[in-house]
Amino acid sequence: MSKLLKRALKNSLFPAILMIAGKVLGIFLTSAIYGLTIEVGNELNGIFSTQIYFEDKAVTLFVNSFSDLSMFLFLAIPTAYFIFKTAIFQSTVGNPKTIVKVTKFNILQWITKDDTTFLKIFIWCAFLWVASSIVVINVLQDSTYTWVGILAGSFAFLCGVGAVKTFEIESNNVYPDNKRYY
Amino acid sequence: MKENKVKKTLALVLEPIALGLLALLFIIPAITVVNLQPITKKIKDLNVLGVTNSSGLKVNIIGGSHLIFLNERIDSNEDIYTYKTKLVKREADSYSKPILEIVNDKDEDVNLEIYGGTSIPTNSDIGIIIEEQRYRLQEPNGNLLTQKITLRPKETYVIYLYIESFSDVRFEEDFELNIKDVQ
Repeated sequence: MSKLLKRALKNSLFPAILMIAGKVLGIFLTSAIYGLTIEVGNELNGIFSTQIYFEDKAVTLFVNSFSDLSMFLFLAIPTAYFIFKTAIFQSTVGNPKTIVKVTKFNILQWITKDDTTFLKIFIWCAFLWVASSIVVINVLQDSTYTWVGILAGSFAFLCGVGAVKTFEIESNNVYPDNKRYY
Repeated sequence: MKENKVKKTLALVLEPIALGLLALLFIIPAITVVNLQPITKKIKDLNVLGVTNSSGLKVNIIGGSHLIFLNERIDSNEDIYTYKTKLVKREADSYSKPILEIVNDKDEDVNLEIYGGTSIPTNSDIGIIIEEQRYRLQEPNGNLLTQKITLRPKETYVIYLYIESFSDVRFEEDFELNIKDVQ
């Protein structure tokens, strides 16, 4: 089995767990905070037999929207962090001014070790795209607020652009462009 | 030498399994999240055998298969029952099908307002038949009509949906029928 595949499997486990945890926690926390009556049933209606019921349509929409948002944030925050961290790390290599700024903001530990690979960013980004697709589909089916879908779609798009940029920079390290001396 | 061969064979076997596992790591959370979508219990109870409101009016879908009326279903929102079906393309002719069974379990008369039709005129005459009496709901030009019907106590009524097309209809159309309990 190739090393790349092994690492891909290892890197995919955590976001997969986070995606489900984000949704479940979103449902139960929203219900707990707003004191909503929640019922868990098990009727065969899909692949899984567990269903979460709410009595009112508006409440269902509210809880679904916030659980979608929570699932999305659970994936979006680490993805954005990885992209940001890699961008800073790569910037410090070519630009000493960034080191000064990084020191000023006291985030020097971010650039001391480059443990964020493009593969990791790519996998997290892929999970983010899957999550945002689910949110957008929910918006189209009127089961999530529109603003949640817009937020998720736009952020996923931006993260996609960020991941591509990271890939470009990393590939430039392997195959430098003509302007650079090597 | 032999060990190397075993390792190579194992790697060959494990590689597709690992790829499948990787795909599953994306698919399983997505399916789980979709299945965890909260649903409204009132709505979930519909489309099984029928719907009942607190006043004792019961509206059951008859179902069965028909060449023209497809995907029948019934929903309820407070005192309005909505029956939906897809009318497929058809030749100029008259078609009908028993669609709903209404049971008035109350000890008094129940007044219903029945209206509905297709969103785009299909040049068809659409209506319902209750106890051999025709009630027109949509004229061929698309005009919608509301019918008022009184149900006697402890009586069961079967509603037939009829559709008369005067020319061939070459497209599918969604039909919606609303039954409102007027108290």
